[in-house]
Amino acid sequence: MVKLIIDPITRISGFLGVEVEIEKNKIVEAKVEGNLFRGFEKILKGRYALDAVYLTERICGICSSAHALAATLALENALNLVPTENVIYIRDLLHSFDIIQNHIRHFYLFTVPDYVEFDFSSPLYETCHKDYRIPDKLSRKIQEDYLKSIEFSKLAHVGVALLGGKAPHNHGILPGIVSVSLDRLKIEEIKSIINKIKDFVDNCMLEDVNIISMYYGDYFEKGKTYNNFLSFGLFDYEDFYYVKPSVIINGVKSDFDVNKIHENINYSWYEVHDGQVVENIKKKGAYSFVKSPRYDKMPVEVGPLARMILSGKYNLKSSTMDRIIARCQEASNILRIMSIIVERIEPFKKEVKYDFKVSSGLGMVDTTRGALLHYVKLDYDKIDGYDIITPSAWNFSPRDDFLGTVEKALVDTFIDDINDVVEVGRIVRSFDPCISCATHVTLRR
Amino acid sequence: MKNCLWEVINNKNSLSKALAEEAAVQIRFGKTKKPNVIWIEATGCSGNTISLMNADYPDLIYLLDNMINLKFSNSLMVCDGERAFESFLKTLKEDFILVVEGAVSTKEDGLFNIIANYKGNKITAYDAIKMAGAKAKSIIAVGTCASFGGVSKAYPNPSEAKSVKEVLQKDVINLPGCPSHPEWIIGTLAYIITNEKIEVDDLGRPLLFYGFTIHDFCERRVYFNNRIFAKNIGEPWCMFKLGCRGPVTKTDCPKRRWNNKVNWPIGDNTPCIGCANAYFPDGMEPFIRL
Repeated sequence: MVKLIIDPITRISGFLGVEVEIEKNKIVEAKVEGNLFRGFEKILKGRYALDAVYLTERICGICSSAHALAATLALENALNLVPTENVIYIRDLLHSFDIIQNHIRHFYLFTVPDYVEFDFSSPLYETCHKDYRIPDKLSRKIQEDYLKSIEFSKLAHVGVALLGGKAPHNHGILPGIVSVSLDRLKIEEIKSIINKIKDFVDNCMLEDVNIISMYYGDYFEKGKTYNNFLSFGLFDYEDFYYVKPSVIINGVKSDFDVNKIHENINYSWYEVHDGQVVENIKKKGAYSFVKSPRYDKMPVEVGPLARMILSGKYNLKSSTMDRIIARCQEASNILRIMSIIVERIEPFKKEVKYDFKVSSGLGMVDTTRGALLHYVKLDYDKIDGYDIITPSAWNFSPRDDFLGTVEKALVDTFIDDINDVVEVGRIVRSFDPCISCATHVTLRR
Repeated sequence: MKNCLWEVINNKNSLSKALAEEAAVQIRFGKTKKPNVIWIEATGCSGNTISLMNADYPDLIYLLDNMINLKFSNSLMVCDGERAFESFLKTLKEDFILVVEGAVSTKEDGLFNIIANYKGNKITAYDAIKMAGAKAKSIIAVGTCASFGGVSKAYPNPSEAKSVKEVLQKDVINLPGCPSHPEWIIGTLAYIITNEKIEVDDLGRPLLFYGFTIHDFCERRVYFNNRIFAKNIGEPWCMFKLGCRGPVTKTDCPKRRWNNKVNWPIGDNTPCIGCANAYFPDGMEPFIRL
């Protein structure tokens, strides 16, 4: 038996280590370790309610709009604020630009180097693995698209900035309103950006992922999870939707019930002291700062693949390659939805009044990496308590009675070459880890 | 500084580009060596790396090809595991520039932020920054967390985070901003490639980019001068009364703007929240006074 620690898993957001035990070329044990703690829920307590929006954005550099939106939804819920349809469309548009930015960056900058050997001169592209199968001509095509992708992911952030001032960490989304001044010119500019990116995604990205999947067919067999999928819903409008709040447990689809969400800290570096969750790095048996959220006691997979399956756009199966393909196809699908939404937005007069009271609110939205939940407890205009369950916490949780989702994906994987274990990185990256996000959730009270 | 005042004010948008081109030319003709760079992400959100990817003039690939040998970057490097960390260790034996984003978590000797596991030993960001900081030719703190502690150090500072300067007790060039603007990062790198030292203020910020307040050049300054104030988010007037921190925040956002220069927070009808300030976020709240 060989024990192997791969830390850092590079080309992700945040710090992640993976410990695997390999017996006869098969992974028999896997531990996924979240290696960063920030403690946002402690930082938020006692601060001004509205500041939650801009502060929680700072949890994550690559998906900041998602936190702005979830915090906004939680505050709207607490303040009984109902935004107009126009406001919802505009902020969904802003959020989707950030999703597209992430999907393009995750595919080209983080995923592609796992499968394509680069001939760029920068030492950044030196590789330490051998399993590269794509012929030179196609490899060069993908490398050219890699360079193009930098322009298009940037352009997606230009979309965020047009609507929200700057990216990352935009200013545009607030409870009940969006701050942007829209005019016809700006709307046309946004349409043009959507079209340009869609052109790239449909003609380059989908083709590139197709090439990769042809040469790495064995990755349709590697990285399988439980067939448990969860989504809080995304682009769920009156006359059309992408995905409704829903779950699949053991292959059976049902409606989503928020009361079935629980978190445990059995193998996380936390313990409960006087009803408070405190960090304890010396806790026996613990190995991660990520906690273990569960749906009906089961670990679930969240993210683009879960959404594509739950919306009926992808067959019910999970693997490394399915996850990567689903992300690329979803990018194209979201861009299609964006071109519908952009036709519906219009200039408007902004007016909002916040009526703070003692209350609490829940904000749930599906985002870049899956289901994101914010919960806020208000004492008038101050925050009395804040909880966050991030998508990467669902995917990268340590075990309880069951292995965490990514641990499950790793265990039983066949390793081709024990001296060059390339499988672990590929499987883990297909989930698009964001550990800066995952490691500051707390128990919901 | 005075001599180049006009340059600084009027050529904001091409300043980083000019500096970068000068650095690339000097490297190409062998006048100076292409420097090695170690980029450590510590306790933060990695948003500065994302911001760097948004760089426009010049862009990320220009930086990687023509200006620096980026040897270690958790977000970007192809290699992973021990081999990735070996690249860090090897670079320590050569000349290099250290870039840090994120604050330095010191709780439990840094175990709240582990960046690698090398031959069975956990390597904390705290260790890595001390190791690299002792040998680096120059040290650049990118973003408010690395420069001053920022959001990571916000009360009650759960990870006992410190700024890079607090940890290293050495000269550090601070490029605060949440995130830092890509042109501040690339411009500063270019400047220290071609020159020995960059002129900084008493908080370690290059005067090239942090010489004036936002208020000095704000497009809504005329409303301030005439006392026409916005009372709600979305109104096109001076947001001083909504709590705008432009008067106390030293960056060139009004001229430089963000993301291919299409917009900036005040252009989006929201006040500056002072994200580049030493006392952000604790001293800057509430962000919006309504």
